[in-house]
Amino acid sequence: MNRKKTMKFSVIVTVIASLIAGTVVFYLFNQPKRDVQATKTDFRFTASQLVTEYLVDAKKANAKYLNEDGNSKVLEISGMVANISENYNKQKVLLLKFPADSAGVSCTIISVKDPLLNQIKLSEDIIVKGVIRSGASYDKDLGMYENVIMDNCKIISTKQ
Amino acid sequence: MPKFLFKLLPVLSVVFISTKSFAQKINSKTSNISFYSHTAVEDIKASNTASVSVLDPTTGDVVFSVPMQSFDFEKALMQKHFNSPDFLDTKTEPKAKLVGKITNLSKVNFKIDGIYSAEVSGEMTIKGISKPFTAKSTITIKGSSFEVESKFEIILEDYGIAFKKGKPSTNIAKTIQITVLAEY
Repeated sequence: MNRKKTMKFSVIVTVIASLIAGTVVFYLFNQPKRDVQATKTDFRFTASQLVTEYLVDAKKANAKYLNEDGNSKVLEISGMVANISENYNKQKVLLLKFPADSAGVSCTIISVKDPLLNQIKLSEDIIVKGVIRSGASYDKDLGMYENVIMDNCKIISTKQ
Repeated sequence: MPKFLFKLLPVLSVVFISTKSFAQKINSKTSNISFYSHTAVEDIKASNTASVSVLDPTTGDVVFSVPMQSFDFEKALMQKHFNSPDFLDTKTEPKAKLVGKITNLSKVNFKIDGIYSAEVSGEMTIKGISKPFTAKSTITIKGSSFEVESKFEIILEDYGIAFKKGKPSTNIAKTIQITVLAEY
């Protein structure tokens, strides 16, 4: 009888453990991507401040802003709209750059339907929230300065 | 200096200036770099639209700079693995780079619309490791703009990305296919 009970108990435990393990694996495998806009902002800068920090010491800046798993720091960047373009996926890309700076911050806006996009004008000062992907530097092969790259961006303020 | 040289000077300077202004690098307007890994267990795809490229039609020099953390995956877990120190280590090596040259430039006429086959060879740097590289590509010229498309394969182990055991060794292909599209 006792043996039968023990058997039953181990079967139940095994089934429950398998279910938990299966759920964890399923969750890990299908875990949703991070919602950048719902994530707390880590740093607030002007485009000039961030660019300068990278041009002074890119290695130090990468260590500070890039994360190992790719979920890097969420930044709010204020700056002047120096260029408005479209990427391959037809998303709008805003370049925040002050005229005196060598490089700026390139922000890919996540929603093509963002109503603020139609109001944005060149030379306007705006604030954009997004995740940093890479920093600014001078590339001798390209023969130019590369901008800081941010994506999953949203315009959070326009100074009318 | 002989007098005729003085007369020639303005002509020479015009020739020099026009040649110089023609020999200009052209920046890409848009780009899409994607990769595909196929194994019996799973297929992994990711794409990146944030790369910067320049191409000089007069010399055939072509450069791509790829921000590695901009690769977008279907699944969050794949993206995390891709960026991790065991795989691409994108925190330490945030950019990959291709510095190449069109080797059959004489067969590509950037002034005449058409579809041209171009061969590119040079050096590719991934995860801080540089390796020689060659690829066939198609250049489509239309008016003042042109498109470059190239498909090639890379062996991950060449760039220090090797898995001897565990899930990645069965789920990630040893050779992955890369597709590059850029509009200039």
